[in-house]
Amino acid sequence: MPRIVVDYDKCTGLGICESIAPDVFEVDDDGSLLILEESPDETRRGELQEAVDGCPTGALSIED
Amino acid sequence: MTLTTEPNARQYDPVSLAPMAFWAKSPEEREEDYAVLRAERPISWHPPAEGSMMPPQEGGGFWAVTRHADIVAVSKDPETFCSGEGIQMEDVPLDILEAVSSFLATDAPRHTKLRKLVSAAFTPKRVKKIEEQIKAQATRLVDQLIETGDCDFVEHISRRLPQWTIFEMVGVEDQETREIATRAADGMVSWGDEDVRQGREPAELLTESLMALINVALELAEARRAEPRDDLMTNLVQAEVDGEQLTDEEIAAFFCLLSIAGNDTTRNTTSSTMRALTLNPDQRALLREDYEGRITVAIDEFVRWATPVMTFRRTATRDVELGGQQIKQGDWVVLFYSSGNRDPEVFDDPMRFDVTRSPNPHIAFGGGGPHYCMGNQLAKTQLRAIFWELLTRVPDLEAGEPVYLAGNFMQAIKSMPCRLNL
Repeated sequence: MPRIVVDYDKCTGLGICESIAPDVFEVDDDGSLLILEESPDETRRGELQEAVDGCPTGALSIED
Repeated sequence: MTLTTEPNARQYDPVSLAPMAFWAKSPEEREEDYAVLRAERPISWHPPAEGSMMPPQEGGGFWAVTRHADIVAVSKDPETFCSGEGIQMEDVPLDILEAVSSFLATDAPRHTKLRKLVSAAFTPKRVKKIEEQIKAQATRLVDQLIETGDCDFVEHISRRLPQWTIFEMVGVEDQETREIATRAADGMVSWGDEDVRQGREPAELLTESLMALINVALELAEARRAEPRDDLMTNLVQAEVDGEQLTDEEIAAFFCLLSIAGNDTTRNTTSSTMRALTLNPDQRALLREDYEGRITVAIDEFVRWATPVMTFRRTATRDVELGGQQIKQGDWVVLFYSSGNRDPEVFDDPMRFDVTRSPNPHIAFGGGGPHYCMGNQLAKTQLRAIFWELLTRVPDLEAGEPVYLAGNFMQAIKSMPCRLNL
Protein backbone atom coordinates (compact mmCIF):
# COMPACT_ATOMS: atom_id res chain seq x y z
CA MET A 1 0.00 0.00 0.00
CA PRO A 2 1.33 3.47 -0.82
CA ARG A 3 2.21 5.64 2.16
CA ILE A 4 2.30 9.44 1.88
CA VAL A 5 5.27 11.27 3.32
CA VAL A 6 5.24 15.06 3.80
CA ASP A 7 8.37 17.16 4.14
CA TYR A 8 6.98 19.87 6.39
CA ASP A 9 10.06 22.04 5.87
CA LYS A 10 9.05 22.37 2.25
CA CYS A 11 5.24 22.36 2.49
CA THR A 12 3.75 25.86 2.33
CA GLY A 13 0.13 24.76 2.57
CA LEU A 14 -0.86 25.69 -0.98
CA GLY A 15 -3.42 22.90 -1.04
CA ILE A 16 -2.93 21.82 -4.64
CA CYS A 17 -2.86 18.23 -3.32
CA GLU A 18 -6.18 18.90 -1.63
CA SER A 19 -7.73 20.00 -4.89
CA ILE A 20 -6.62 16.67 -6.42
CA ALA A 21 -7.57 14.32 -3.55
CA PRO A 22 -9.59 16.17 -0.89
CA ASP A 23 -10.29 13.02 1.12
CA VAL A 24 -6.55 12.39 1.56
CA PHE A 25 -5.12 15.90 1.95
CA GLU A 26 -6.51 18.86 3.83
CA VAL A 27 -4.96 22.23 4.61
CA ASP A 28 -6.45 23.26 7.92
CA ASP A 29 -7.46 26.73 9.02
CA ASP A 30 -4.01 27.68 10.23
CA GLY A 31 -2.48 26.75 6.88
CA SER A 32 -0.95 23.40 7.89
CA LEU A 33 -1.31 20.29 5.78
CA LEU A 34 -3.10 17.36 7.39
CA ILE A 35 -2.99 13.86 5.97
CA LEU A 36 -6.44 12.41 6.44
CA GLU A 37 -5.58 9.00 5.07
CA GLU A 38 -1.94 8.08 5.47
CA SER A 39 -2.03 4.82 3.53
CA PRO A 40 -4.75 5.05 0.93
CA ASP A 41 -5.84 2.09 -1.10
CA GLU A 42 -3.63 0.88 -3.96
CA THR A 43 -6.33 1.96 -6.44
CA ARG A 44 -5.61 5.59 -5.51
CA ARG A 45 -1.99 5.47 -6.60
CA GLY A 46 -2.57 7.43 -9.81
CA GLU A 47 -4.19 10.31 -7.98
CA LEU A 48 -1.53 10.31 -5.28
CA GLN A 49 1.20 10.40 -7.88
CA GLU A 50 -0.59 13.36 -9.48
CA ALA A 51 -0.56 15.14 -6.12
CA VAL A 52 3.14 14.37 -5.63
CA ASP A 53 4.03 15.58 -9.13
CA GLY A 54 1.72 18.57 -8.85
CA CYS A 55 3.22 19.87 -5.61
CA PRO A 56 5.17 23.00 -6.61
CA THR A 57 7.27 22.89 -3.45
CA GLY A 58 8.21 19.23 -3.84
CA ALA A 59 6.98 18.48 -0.34
CA LEU A 60 5.25 15.15 -1.05
CA SER A 61 6.52 11.68 -1.76
CA ILE A 62 5.17 8.12 -1.73
CA GLU A 63 6.79 5.27 0.14
CA ASP A 64 5.82 1.68 -0.33
CA MET B 1 49.09 31.48 -19.04
CA THR B 2 47.63 34.92 -19.14
CA LEU B 3 44.73 34.06 -21.37
CA THR B 4 41.82 32.44 -19.67
CA THR B 5 38.23 32.00 -20.70
CA GLU B 6 37.12 33.74 -17.53
CA PRO B 7 36.57 37.27 -18.97
CA ASN B 8 34.51 35.85 -21.82
CA ALA B 9 32.04 34.47 -19.35
CA ARG B 10 31.40 38.04 -18.26
CA GLN B 11 30.89 39.61 -21.65
CA TYR B 12 27.56 41.24 -22.01
CA ASP B 13 25.25 39.39 -24.35
CA PRO B 14 24.58 41.08 -27.70
CA VAL B 15 20.85 40.58 -27.14
CA SER B 16 20.33 43.09 -24.40
CA LEU B 17 17.47 42.77 -21.94
CA ALA B 18 18.56 45.80 -19.96
CA PRO B 19 17.38 48.87 -21.93
CA MET B 20 14.06 50.54 -21.24
CA ALA B 21 13.42 50.25 -24.98
CA PHE B 22 13.35 46.45 -24.69
CA TRP B 23 10.65 46.67 -22.03
CA ALA B 24 8.60 49.12 -24.04
CA LYS B 25 8.20 46.56 -26.84
CA SER B 26 5.22 44.28 -27.20
CA PRO B 27 5.36 40.77 -25.69
CA GLU B 28 5.57 39.28 -29.21
CA GLU B 29 8.59 41.43 -30.06
CA ARG B 30 10.35 40.50 -26.83
CA GLU B 31 9.71 36.84 -27.56
CA GLU B 32 11.87 37.14 -30.69
CA ASP B 33 14.85 38.01 -28.49
CA TYR B 34 14.02 35.35 -25.91
CA ALA B 35 13.87 32.74 -28.68
CA VAL B 36 17.46 33.53 -29.65
CA LEU B 37 18.68 33.37 -26.06
CA ARG B 38 16.83 30.13 -25.26
CA ALA B 39 18.24 28.43 -28.32
CA GLU B 40 21.79 29.74 -28.25
CA ARG B 41 22.69 31.22 -24.86
CA PRO B 42 20.12 30.10 -22.29
CA ILE B 43 22.06 31.65 -19.39
CA SER B 44 23.36 35.02 -20.54
CA TRP B 45 25.03 37.98 -18.84
CA HIS B 46 23.51 41.48 -19.15
CA PRO B 47 24.33 45.00 -18.03
CA PRO B 48 22.31 46.45 -15.12
CA ALA B 49 18.72 47.27 -16.00
CA GLU B 50 18.34 50.78 -17.33
CA GLY B 51 16.34 53.28 -15.36
CA SER B 52 17.31 51.86 -12.02
CA MET B 53 16.78 54.14 -9.10
CA MET B 54 20.27 53.55 -7.80
CA PRO B 55 23.55 54.03 -9.63
CA PRO B 56 24.57 50.64 -11.07
CA GLN B 57 27.47 48.83 -9.45
CA GLU B 58 30.79 48.75 -11.25
CA GLY B 59 30.95 45.70 -13.50
CA GLY B 60 27.46 44.85 -12.35
CA GLY B 61 24.73 43.15 -14.23
CA PHE B 62 22.57 40.08 -14.10
CA TRP B 63 22.28 36.59 -15.49
CA ALA B 64 19.16 36.03 -17.58
CA VAL B 65 17.66 32.55 -17.21
CA THR B 66 15.42 31.95 -20.20
CA ARG B 67 14.80 28.19 -20.43
CA HIS B 68 11.90 26.56 -18.62
CA ALA B 69 14.04 23.80 -17.08
CA ASP B 70 16.63 26.24 -15.69
CA ILE B 71 13.96 28.55 -14.26
CA VAL B 72 12.43 25.58 -12.46
CA ALA B 73 15.83 24.42 -11.19
CA VAL B 74 16.66 27.87 -9.76
CA SER B 75 13.19 28.28 -8.25
CA LYS B 76 13.42 24.95 -6.48
CA ASP B 77 16.82 25.64 -4.97
CA PRO B 78 16.24 28.59 -2.62
CA GLU B 79 19.33 27.75 -0.59
CA THR B 80 21.57 28.51 -3.57
CA PHE B 81 19.35 31.18 -5.14
CA CYS B 82 17.90 33.31 -2.37
CA SER B 83 15.25 36.04 -2.35
CA GLY B 84 16.40 37.89 0.76
CA GLU B 85 18.72 40.19 -1.19
CA GLY B 86 16.02 41.45 -3.51
CA ILE B 87 13.56 40.18 -6.06
CA GLN B 88 13.55 42.92 -8.70
CA MET B 89 15.92 43.03 -11.62
CA GLU B 90 17.02 46.56 -10.79
CA ASP B 91 18.55 47.82 -7.61
CA VAL B 92 15.79 49.14 -5.40
CA PRO B 93 16.67 51.11 -2.29
CA LEU B 94 16.59 48.68 0.62
CA ASP B 95 14.01 50.65 2.57
CA ILE B 96 11.61 50.52 -0.36
CA LEU B 97 12.26 46.82 -0.85
CA GLU B 98 11.46 46.12 2.77
CA ALA B 99 8.46 48.40 2.75
CA VAL B 100 6.71 46.62 -0.09
CA SER B 101 7.94 43.10 -0.51
CA SER B 102 7.17 41.58 2.86
CA PHE B 103 7.84 37.84 2.90
CA LEU B 104 8.38 37.72 -0.86
CA ALA B 105 11.88 39.10 -0.37
CA THR B 106 12.77 36.82 2.54
CA ASP B 107 14.09 33.29 2.90
CA ALA B 108 13.40 30.43 5.28
CA PRO B 109 12.89 30.30 8.21
CA ARG B 110 11.38 33.81 8.41
CA HIS B 111 9.70 33.46 5.02
CA THR B 112 7.92 30.31 6.17
CA LYS B 113 6.54 31.94 9.29
CA LEU B 114 5.47 35.21 7.68
CA ARG B 115 3.90 33.59 4.65
CA LYS B 116 1.84 31.29 6.81
CA LEU B 117 0.16 34.28 8.46
CA VAL B 118 -1.72 34.96 5.25
CA SER B 119 -1.50 31.71 3.28
CA ALA B 120 -4.18 30.13 5.45
CA ALA B 121 -6.68 32.51 3.82
CA PHE B 122 -5.88 31.12 0.36
CA THR B 123 -6.42 27.39 0.94
CA PRO B 124 -8.90 25.46 -1.22
CA LYS B 125 -11.51 25.48 1.53
CA ARG B 126 -11.27 29.21 2.10
CA VAL B 127 -11.34 29.96 -1.61
CA LYS B 128 -14.40 27.72 -1.95
CA LYS B 129 -16.09 29.78 0.76
CA ILE B 130 -15.67 33.01 -1.16
CA GLU B 131 -16.39 31.46 -4.57
CA GLU B 132 -20.15 32.18 -4.54
CA GLN B 133 -19.46 35.83 -3.74
CA ILE B 134 -16.91 36.03 -6.55
CA LYS B 135 -19.48 34.62 -8.98
CA ALA B 136 -22.11 37.09 -7.82
CA GLN B 137 -19.62 39.91 -8.25
CA ALA B 138 -18.74 38.70 -11.77
CA THR B 139 -22.45 38.71 -12.63
CA ARG B 140 -22.81 42.29 -11.36
CA LEU B 141 -19.79 43.44 -13.36
CA VAL B 142 -21.18 42.03 -16.60
CA ASP B 143 -24.60 43.55 -15.80
CA GLN B 144 -22.86 46.91 -15.58
CA LEU B 145 -20.83 46.24 -18.72
CA ILE B 146 -23.99 45.56 -20.70
CA GLU B 147 -25.49 48.77 -19.34
CA THR B 148 -22.35 50.75 -20.22
CA GLY B 149 -21.88 49.36 -23.70
CA ASP B 150 -18.64 49.62 -25.66
CA CYS B 151 -15.91 50.78 -23.30
CA ASP B 152 -12.42 50.19 -21.93
CA PHE B 153 -12.39 46.51 -20.98
CA VAL B 154 -9.60 46.97 -18.40
CA GLU B 155 -11.43 49.70 -16.53
CA HIS B 156 -14.84 48.04 -16.58
CA ILE B 157 -14.00 44.35 -16.22
CA SER B 158 -10.38 43.30 -15.72
CA ARG B 159 -9.48 45.54 -12.82
CA ARG B 160 -12.78 45.30 -11.03
CA LEU B 161 -13.04 41.66 -10.01
CA PRO B 162 -9.55 41.23 -8.55
CA GLN B 163 -9.89 44.56 -6.78
CA TRP B 164 -13.13 43.48 -5.17
CA THR B 165 -11.79 40.05 -4.25
CA ILE B 166 -8.49 40.99 -2.68
CA PHE B 167 -9.81 43.95 -0.71
CA GLU B 168 -12.83 41.99 0.44
CA MET B 169 -10.42 39.41 1.86
CA VAL B 170 -8.01 41.92 3.36
CA GLY B 171 -10.84 43.98 4.82
CA VAL B 172 -10.77 47.30 2.92
CA GLU B 173 -14.42 48.17 2.89
CA ASP B 174 -15.31 51.32 1.03
CA GLN B 175 -14.89 51.67 -2.70
CA GLU B 176 -13.08 55.00 -2.47
CA THR B 177 -10.31 53.50 -0.34
CA ARG B 178 -10.15 50.46 -2.61
CA GLU B 179 -9.58 52.79 -5.54
CA ILE B 180 -6.85 54.72 -3.73
CA ALA B 181 -5.08 51.48 -2.84
CA THR B 182 -5.46 50.03 -6.34
CA ARG B 183 -4.05 53.14 -7.99
CA ALA B 184 -1.16 53.14 -5.54
CA ALA B 185 -0.51 49.45 -6.13
CA ASP B 186 -0.45 50.17 -9.88
CA GLY B 187 1.97 53.02 -9.27
CA MET B 188 4.37 50.62 -7.57
CA VAL B 189 4.78 48.61 -10.77
CA SER B 190 4.43 51.45 -13.30
CA TRP B 191 7.47 53.61 -12.65
CA GLY B 192 9.09 52.43 -15.88
CA ASP B 193 6.23 53.87 -17.93
CA GLU B 194 6.53 57.47 -19.08
CA ASP B 195 2.78 57.90 -19.60
CA VAL B 196 2.05 56.88 -16.06
CA ARG B 197 4.90 58.94 -14.63
CA GLN B 198 3.78 62.12 -16.37
CA GLY B 199 7.07 63.91 -15.91
CA ARG B 200 7.75 62.57 -12.43
CA GLU B 201 10.96 60.73 -11.58
CA PRO B 202 10.57 56.97 -11.03
CA ALA B 203 11.48 57.36 -7.35
CA GLU B 204 8.88 60.09 -6.96
CA LEU B 205 6.06 57.92 -8.29
CA LEU B 206 7.25 55.02 -6.20
CA THR B 207 7.42 57.01 -2.98
CA GLU B 208 4.06 58.64 -3.58
CA SER B 209 2.42 55.28 -4.25
CA LEU B 210 4.10 53.66 -1.30
CA MET B 211 2.97 56.39 1.10
CA ALA B 212 -0.60 56.02 -0.10
CA LEU B 213 -0.53 52.26 0.46
CA ILE B 214 1.03 52.62 3.90
CA ASN B 215 -1.61 55.15 4.91
CA VAL B 216 -4.45 52.86 3.92
CA ALA B 217 -2.77 49.90 5.64
CA LEU B 218 -2.14 51.66 8.93
CA GLU B 219 -5.59 53.18 9.15
CA LEU B 220 -7.10 49.78 8.55
CA ALA B 221 -4.77 48.14 11.08
CA GLU B 222 -5.84 50.71 13.66
CA ALA B 223 -9.50 50.02 12.96
CA ARG B 224 -9.04 46.26 13.31
CA ARG B 225 -7.11 46.56 16.54
CA ALA B 226 -10.02 48.50 17.93
CA GLU B 227 -12.65 46.21 16.45
CA PRO B 228 -11.53 42.82 15.09
CA ARG B 229 -13.36 41.28 12.14
CA ASP B 230 -13.09 38.12 10.09
CA ASP B 231 -10.53 39.37 7.59
CA LEU B 232 -6.81 39.25 6.79
CA MET B 233 -5.98 42.57 8.42
CA THR B 234 -7.42 41.30 11.69
CA ASN B 235 -5.24 38.19 11.38
CA LEU B 236 -2.20 40.38 10.85
CA VAL B 237 -2.77 42.72 13.79
CA GLN B 238 -3.37 39.72 16.06
CA ALA B 239 -0.51 37.58 14.72
CA GLU B 240 2.61 36.72 16.62
CA VAL B 241 5.85 35.56 15.05
CA ASP B 242 8.49 34.20 17.42
CA GLY B 243 6.48 35.57 20.30
CA GLU B 244 6.34 39.08 18.89
CA GLN B 245 3.57 41.03 17.24
CA LEU B 246 4.15 42.37 13.77
CA THR B 247 5.35 45.96 13.59
CA ASP B 248 3.37 48.59 11.70
CA GLU B 249 6.03 48.46 8.98
CA GLU B 250 5.60 44.71 8.61
CA ILE B 251 1.83 44.97 8.48
CA ALA B 252 2.06 47.70 5.86
CA ALA B 253 4.46 45.55 3.83
CA PHE B 254 1.99 42.67 3.88
CA PHE B 255 -0.68 45.06 2.69
CA CYS B 256 1.50 46.35 -0.15
CA LEU B 257 2.35 42.85 -1.28
CA LEU B 258 -1.26 41.64 -1.19
CA SER B 259 -2.48 44.77 -2.98
CA ILE B 260 0.02 44.41 -5.81
CA ALA B 261 -0.06 40.63 -6.15
CA GLY B 262 -3.82 40.46 -5.76
CA ASN B 263 -4.68 43.15 -8.30
CA ASP B 264 -2.27 43.26 -11.18
CA THR B 265 -1.92 39.56 -11.86
CA THR B 266 -5.52 38.48 -12.35
CA ARG B 267 -6.36 41.79 -14.01
CA ASN B 268 -3.76 41.32 -16.72
CA THR B 269 -4.60 37.68 -17.23
CA THR B 270 -8.24 38.67 -17.76
CA SER B 271 -7.32 41.32 -20.34
CA SER B 272 -4.81 39.16 -22.15
CA THR B 273 -7.25 36.25 -22.32
CA MET B 274 -10.05 38.40 -23.70
CA ARG B 275 -7.73 39.59 -26.44
CA ALA B 276 -6.58 36.03 -27.18
CA LEU B 277 -10.19 34.80 -27.36
CA THR B 278 -10.96 37.63 -29.78
CA LEU B 279 -8.05 36.75 -32.04
CA ASN B 280 -8.76 33.00 -31.82
CA PRO B 281 -12.47 32.52 -32.40
CA ASP B 282 -12.00 28.75 -32.73
CA GLN B 283 -10.73 28.64 -29.16
CA ARG B 284 -13.64 30.73 -27.94
CA ALA B 285 -16.02 28.35 -29.72
CA LEU B 286 -14.46 25.38 -27.92
CA LEU B 287 -15.15 26.98 -24.57
CA ARG B 288 -18.65 28.01 -25.51
CA GLU B 289 -19.48 24.45 -26.56
CA ASP B 290 -18.49 22.95 -23.21
CA TYR B 291 -17.45 25.52 -20.64
CA GLU B 292 -17.64 23.29 -17.58
CA GLY B 293 -15.82 20.47 -19.31
CA ARG B 294 -13.00 22.58 -20.71
CA ILE B 295 -12.44 25.57 -18.47
CA THR B 296 -10.15 23.93 -15.90
CA VAL B 297 -7.58 23.00 -18.55
CA ALA B 298 -8.16 26.27 -20.41
CA ILE B 299 -7.39 28.44 -17.38
CA ASP B 300 -3.84 27.15 -17.28
CA GLU B 301 -3.49 28.25 -20.88
CA PHE B 302 -4.94 31.68 -20.01
CA VAL B 303 -2.32 32.04 -17.32
CA ARG B 304 0.54 30.72 -19.48
CA TRP B 305 -0.48 33.03 -22.30
CA ALA B 306 -0.66 36.10 -20.07
CA THR B 307 2.32 35.43 -17.78
CA PRO B 308 1.56 38.64 -15.87
CA VAL B 309 4.71 38.49 -13.78
CA MET B 310 7.53 38.54 -16.34
CA THR B 311 10.55 38.46 -14.04
CA PHE B 312 11.75 37.84 -10.54
CA ARG B 313 15.30 37.90 -9.32
CA ARG B 314 17.36 35.65 -7.08
CA THR B 315 20.87 36.15 -5.71
CA ALA B 316 23.43 33.33 -5.69
CA THR B 317 24.52 32.42 -2.18
CA ARG B 318 27.57 30.47 -3.43
CA ASP B 319 29.56 29.78 -6.60
CA VAL B 320 27.55 27.40 -8.73
CA GLU B 321 27.30 26.17 -12.30
CA LEU B 322 24.05 26.79 -14.09
CA GLY B 323 23.42 25.69 -17.66
CA GLY B 324 27.15 25.67 -18.39
CA GLN B 325 27.82 29.12 -16.91
CA GLN B 326 29.83 29.80 -13.79
CA ILE B 327 27.68 31.82 -11.42
CA LYS B 328 29.59 33.54 -8.65
CA GLN B 329 28.40 34.07 -5.12
CA GLY B 330 26.49 37.36 -4.99
CA ASP B 331 25.58 37.32 -8.69
CA TRP B 332 22.10 38.35 -9.65
CA VAL B 333 20.06 35.72 -11.44
CA VAL B 334 16.86 36.87 -13.15
CA LEU B 335 14.14 34.38 -14.05
CA PHE B 336 12.36 35.22 -17.30
CA TYR B 337 8.99 33.52 -16.84
CA SER B 338 7.66 34.95 -20.12
CA SER B 339 10.45 33.19 -21.95
CA GLY B 340 10.09 29.92 -20.04
CA ASN B 341 6.39 29.87 -20.89
CA ARG B 342 7.22 29.96 -24.62
CA ASP B 343 9.96 27.32 -24.44
CA PRO B 344 9.47 24.90 -27.35
CA GLU B 345 11.29 22.18 -25.36
CA VAL B 346 8.25 22.09 -23.08
CA PHE B 347 5.33 23.47 -25.09
CA ASP B 348 4.42 22.22 -28.57
CA ASP B 349 3.79 25.17 -30.83
CA PRO B 350 4.26 27.58 -27.90
CA MET B 351 3.05 30.65 -29.79
CA ARG B 352 -0.34 29.05 -30.29
CA PHE B 353 -3.11 29.90 -27.80
CA ASP B 354 -4.62 26.46 -27.24
CA VAL B 355 -7.31 26.14 -24.57
CA THR B 356 -7.06 22.34 -24.71
CA ARG B 357 -3.30 22.26 -24.02
CA SER B 358 -2.63 19.44 -21.57
CA PRO B 359 -0.39 18.90 -19.75
CA ASN B 360 0.46 22.56 -19.32
CA PRO B 361 3.39 22.87 -16.92
CA HIS B 362 3.56 26.66 -17.21
CA ILE B 363 5.53 28.69 -14.70
CA ALA B 364 3.30 31.76 -14.55
CA PHE B 365 2.69 31.09 -10.84
CA GLY B 366 6.41 30.54 -10.37
CA GLY B 367 8.78 27.71 -11.14
CA GLY B 368 8.02 25.86 -7.89
CA GLY B 369 9.72 26.13 -4.55
CA PRO B 370 8.76 28.16 -1.49
CA HIS B 371 7.67 31.33 -3.34
CA TYR B 372 5.09 29.66 -5.56
CA CYS B 373 2.03 31.90 -5.88
CA MET B 374 -0.27 31.25 -2.97
CA GLY B 375 -3.12 33.04 -4.73
CA ASN B 376 -3.15 30.58 -7.63
CA GLN B 377 -6.46 29.00 -6.74
CA LEU B 378 -8.07 32.32 -5.98
CA ALA B 379 -6.94 33.60 -9.38
CA LYS B 380 -8.33 30.54 -11.13
CA THR B 381 -11.65 30.89 -9.34
CA GLN B 382 -11.94 34.50 -10.49
CA LEU B 383 -11.02 33.68 -14.08
CA ARG B 384 -13.55 30.85 -14.18
CA ALA B 385 -16.29 33.15 -12.87
CA ILE B 386 -15.65 36.14 -15.10
CA PHE B 387 -15.21 34.21 -18.34
CA TRP B 388 -18.40 32.25 -17.70
CA GLU B 389 -20.29 35.52 -17.50
CA LEU B 390 -18.52 37.03 -20.50
CA LEU B 391 -18.82 34.02 -22.79
CA THR B 392 -22.46 33.35 -22.01
CA ARG B 393 -23.81 36.90 -21.82
CA VAL B 394 -21.64 38.90 -24.23
CA PRO B 395 -20.50 35.99 -26.42
CA ASP B 396 -19.47 38.18 -29.35
CA LEU B 397 -17.48 40.70 -27.34
CA GLU B 398 -14.41 41.82 -29.26
CA ALA B 399 -11.33 43.17 -27.55
CA GLY B 400 -9.32 45.72 -29.55
CA GLU B 401 -5.64 46.54 -29.55
CA PRO B 402 -4.16 46.48 -26.02
CA VAL B 403 -2.00 49.34 -24.75
CA TYR B 404 0.89 47.77 -22.82
CA LEU B 405 2.62 49.17 -19.78
CA ALA B 406 6.34 49.75 -20.25
CA GLY B 407 8.42 48.07 -17.57
CA ASN B 408 10.36 44.95 -16.72
CA PHE B 409 8.17 43.38 -14.07
CA MET B 410 4.47 43.20 -14.91
CA GLN B 411 3.19 42.32 -18.34
CA ALA B 412 0.35 44.75 -17.94
CA ILE B 413 -2.35 46.04 -20.24
CA LYS B 414 -3.19 49.63 -19.35
CA SER B 415 -6.26 49.87 -21.52
CA MET B 416 -8.03 47.89 -24.22
CA PRO B 417 -11.17 48.97 -26.05
CA CYS B 418 -14.01 46.49 -26.37
CA ARG B 419 -17.09 46.20 -28.55
CA LEU B 420 -19.96 44.20 -27.12
CA ASN B 421 -21.69 43.36 -30.43
CA LEU B 422 -24.95 42.60 -28.65
